[in-house]
Formats: sequence, C-alpha cells, structure tokens
Amino acid sequence: MELMLCNHSSYPRIGDDPDRQLLRRTIAQYDKGEKTEEAVRAAQDRMTELALAEQTEAGLDLVTDGQIRWADPISHLAGKLSGVRVNGLLRFFDTNFYFRQPVVQGRPERREPLLLEEFRFAQEKSALPVKAVLTGPYTLARYSVAESGGSGGFDEMLEGYTAALAAEIAALAAGGAAVIQIEEPALLRYLDDFPRFERCLTALAMNKDSSQLALVVYFGDAAAVYDQLQTLPVDILGLDFTYSPRLVDRVASSGTARTLMLGLVDGRNTRLEDPVATARQLEILARGAGLNRAYLSPSCGLEYLPRDRARQKIRQLAFIRNTFLGSLS
Amino acid sequence: MSRAKLQGLGIDLPLFPVTSVGSFPKPDFLLKARADYANNRIRRGALEKAERQATEFWIRKQEELGVDVLVDGEVYRGDMVAYFAENLEGFEEGGLVRSYGNRYYQKPIISDEIRWDEPITLEWWKYARGITKKPLKGMLTGPYTIMDWSFIEYYPDRRTACLALAKELRKEVEALVEEGAKIIQIDEPAISVRPEELPVAIEAMHIMTDGLPAYFISHICYGDFEKIYPGMLDLPVDNFDLEMSNSGLDMLELFKRSSYTKDISFGVVDSHSHEIENDPLVEQRLRQALEVIPKEAIWVDPDCGLKTRTVDEAIAKMQAVVNAARALRAVTSDK
Repeated sequence: MELMLCNHSSYPRIGDDPDRQLLRRTIAQYDKGEKTEEAVRAAQDRMTELALAEQTEAGLDLVTDGQIRWADPISHLAGKLSGVRVNGLLRFFDTNFYFRQPVVQGRPERREPLLLEEFRFAQEKSALPVKAVLTGPYTLARYSVAESGGSGGFDEMLEGYTAALAAEIAALAAGGAAVIQIEEPALLRYLDDFPRFERCLTALAMNKDSSQLALVVYFGDAAAVYDQLQTLPVDILGLDFTYSPRLVDRVASSGTARTLMLGLVDGRNTRLEDPVATARQLEILARGAGLNRAYLSPSCGLEYLPRDRARQKIRQLAFIRNTFLGSLS
Repeated sequence: MSRAKLQGLGIDLPLFPVTSVGSFPKPDFLLKARADYANNRIRRGALEKAERQATEFWIRKQEELGVDVLVDGEVYRGDMVAYFAENLEGFEEGGLVRSYGNRYYQKPIISDEIRWDEPITLEWWKYARGITKKPLKGMLTGPYTIMDWSFIEYYPDRRTACLALAKELRKEVEALVEEGAKIIQIDEPAISVRPEELPVAIEAMHIMTDGLPAYFISHICYGDFEKIYPGMLDLPVDNFDLEMSNSGLDMLELFKRSSYTKDISFGVVDSHSHEIENDPLVEQRLRQALEVIPKEAIWVDPDCGLKTRTVDEAIAKMQAVVNAARALRAVTSDK
C-alpha cells in the first residue's frame, strides 16, 4: 500500500522563541498604530515559510500553508464576501478556540478571490505540493446567522456560500492546486441534513477541473454516516478517528471507493501516539478495506497544539509509516 | 430562589445585586512589574507588592462604582486555567496556543497525578477581604474546565481526569469556607461545549460543593446552551452567571420554554467589545430579563471577565452595569 503523509490544515503560528512570536508581536504593534499592514503581511509571509519548512523537514508529502493568515476558519472566508459582516465571538465546536460569527444579509456574494493569493504564495515557497484548504459552505452557513432569520434565511446563506466557494474552487484549480480540501466538521452535527449537504458538495465538485477534491470531516463520529460519505463526488475522504472507537472497524469492513485521509494522529492532545499501536490500526484498515493508497494525517488542524508538540506530531507520522511498512515487510 | 440561603449566611443584598465575573485588566504599573519580573529586573516580592496595589485599586474602584458583591480582580493570575495548573501538582506548563484573534494562552499538560498541597487562592481572598467590608466572592476555575482546557497525558480519559481534579479542588473550596467565604464562584465556561459530558460536570460539581455552607455561583459562557438546557439546572449551584448580551439574550427564549429555577447573574454588557454600551441599552436588556425571571433572582454583571478590556473600558462597562441596576431598582422595588 502506498501511504503518503500530509498535514491536515492549520499549523501553529506562534512558538516559544522570539522569531516564532513575530506575528503576534507585529499584530500587537499594528493594533497600537506602530506597524503598517505591510509589516503584518510580511510577518504572515515569514510565519508561513516557517510552517512550510517544518512540514517539509518532517518528511510530509503534502503540506498546507498552515492557515497562518486566517483569523479563524469561519470569518476568514465569510468576511471577504459582500453582504456579510463579522460579529461577536463564538466557540468553535468543542475547542477552546473562538471565531467571529458572520451576520449575513441576503445572499453572500464573492466579489474577489478569497484564498488564491495565499495559495500562490505558499506554492511558490514550497518544493512540495501545497493543499488548498477551504471551510465548506455547510459549516460556514451553520456558524453564520441570517438577519432575515428562519430556514429561508439559512437556505439563502447556504446557496450564496456554495456559489462563492464553487467559484473559488475554480480559481484554485486554474491556479494549479493539485488538491483542494473542503472542511465540513458541521456535517457530523447535522446528519439528518445530509441531502442538503450533498447538493452543496455536488455543486462544488463541478468546478474542481483536474484538481483532486478532498472532503474532510472531524470533531465528531463519522461511523454512522460513512456509507453516505462514500457516495459523494470527491476524490479523497478525510476522517477523524479520535472521536469514534468504531470507525476503524467500520472502514475496514465497508471498504472505500475513495482515497482515504486517515486522521489517526490526535491533533487535539499532546500525548504522542504509539507507533506500534497506530501501525496496527493501519494494518486493520489496509487489509480490511483493501487500501492501495491512503494519506496518514493528524485528525484535525494542528493549531490546537503548542508548536513543539505539533512538530512532534507531524514527525510522528513518519515514525508510524516506517513502523507500518516494517510490519508489512 | 436563594435569597433565604444568602440571608442564612448573613448576607443581605439589594435587588439586582451588581457583581462582576471575576477578572479585571491589569493596570499599567502591574504590566510593567510583570515584564520586569519576567526579565529578572525585579524580585518576586516587588511583583507581589504591585499585585497587591492592583488588587486594592480594583477593590476601591468597585466600591466607588457601587458594586455589591466584589471580586479580588484576579490581577495576580495570568490565565484562569494556567494559574491553577501552576499551583497544583501533576501539571507541566504547555506551550502557547491561540484562543482567538491575536490572543494566546499557555495550555497546561496533565502529565502526572493531580494533587492539591496547599491553598491556591486563599491568601489573595484574605488580603482582599481585609481591605473591604463588602461581600467578596471566592473565585475558582472548575474541574471540568481545567480538564477541558488542558492536554491530558496521565489519565486514561476525560472523566477520570475531571473527577480527580474535583476531588483535589474541593480542598480549596473547604479552605475558603473555613476562612469565612460565604459566596464562592466556580467558573465552568467549558461546560456547555460537550453536552454529552454534562453528567460528568454535574458529578464533579457535587464533589466540589456537597455539604458545604456557601452560596455557589457558576459562570458559564460561549457555548451551545440549547444542548445543555434545562439539564444544566442539575448542577448543584445556586446561581448561574451567564453571558447573555453577546448572544443577543437568546437564552431567554430557552427559559420561556422551560422554567429557569435558579438565581442568575445576568450579563448585560459584552466583555469582548471595545464599545461601551449606553445606559438605555443596558437597562433594556435587564428589562427583558425581568419578563422571564423573577426580580429577586436576578443579579447583574458583564458577560464575562473584563481582563481583555483596558482599565478605562472595564470601569465604563461596570459603570453601565451599576447604572442599569440602580435604574431598575428605582422602578421595580415597590412593585
């Protein structure tokens, strides 16, 4: 089996040494009027380069820009759309991280590229392929509030977000993104809404061109919805195994028609995975599901960990792969 | 209603008692002292002197404003979880992680068995009590939140870690009660995050409070209350301190559907906005509370701790809270 290593999405933008605190320092100075926007951008550039370098050094095959420029997974995208203003703080799922909630008047509209420049910068600075990552329309809509209220308001938001992100996917595909990842953690909290979710994803997939489209779900148990996820028009399916003790067996018994991104390394806890135990899970998956090719990844973005631990986690991916390949041979 | 309980404890409060959630911003002189201490320019004693001055500043400020139930302001704490982690055995300091925007905190790691060896907050509570005659809350972060906001390496699962914390933190509550604390706030902002774990949080709160002669408050904020209400009413506390303004008072709708049965510390100003709410707006929020909750059950405060505001913003927001309480007292006390 070909087992590739990839980052999930985010990566810490801060560390313990002064060089890795550049962005926090610069933004604080910007807030006091002591630095310019250009200085903030330069600090973001620098931290993006550091994030890319650490992923490369860890031996990953597919990296991300670390989402260093994102205020949060919701407002970074929604806030760039017309008809949307960004409001107060809300907790992001069950984390201790907070996002600013978009307030949507009517239908959100995309007037300019959302992530294209960020993707181009990262790809230019990386010798490895960079995965473009977007929060999906369903999650954006679930964490926004429609000024008009009611289910009509939700549907209008969802349609607007879907159209905006479909256009962004087309732009990223044209810009050379080999893999475009759609993150939809909210799906696992609204399983009954799968038909509506499927319509959104189908609309996104129409614009992927030759890029590989990845759907990633996390922060919940995907076992119950696994068969439905397999029906979606995506190339890669990313799963968080930390929320579901049943998921390994579920995947092993059902198999897969998609390339799987196996989130077996906990992106939320500092405890390092035992390579032997994780390799055993991989064996069960590989044999049971008949995998020819898969990605091994953290279960979610790594920004929930301190930088030293995030770095250990991505290095651990390589240890796990070596252990797994050793066990196969 | 817990007015009788308060009176039984010897505490008589006006209608709409004004309090605050706990933290106040560190004045500039303390920020400088902390920076000097971090860079080895001053000794520990000099830092503690500045912390005492800042505590006294906020005690006097609360008295001047007309706050009814005071807090020590927590200016000696860095972060509400890290502070306890630093003072309990079993934790090691974790690196920085982001909480929102450009805000970061050091998330602790539970790397060994948790153990309470000596009081953590007691000396500060005693110091603050010594400089005011007003009721003063004892302030702790709760076991569920400390567990949830820590990385867990030692214990096999979250429940085991949470209950181990509760068992040890009860000793802190007992120490406060023994010293005379009558009102104790156990902050559990994380409790609304994983609804399926509410029974664990309730079990832990029983360990913390059962059989102790005090009026207990729990601060909960920034979560999906729809999923834990009315189940959260089973938490063995007398008063929930809730962030109401930031969420557009939408919890009142939940209370209309299923009766709210405890006292409430009703957040009437947004703690994470620089904007100072005007008096009519704050009064309006309080009036809306009165439509759903009996007046005797309502306390008034900001949504959350004010430590992220400037000193001037925090004072202005507290002034708005006091003004609203006074205005409503004037029109409701005789009804």
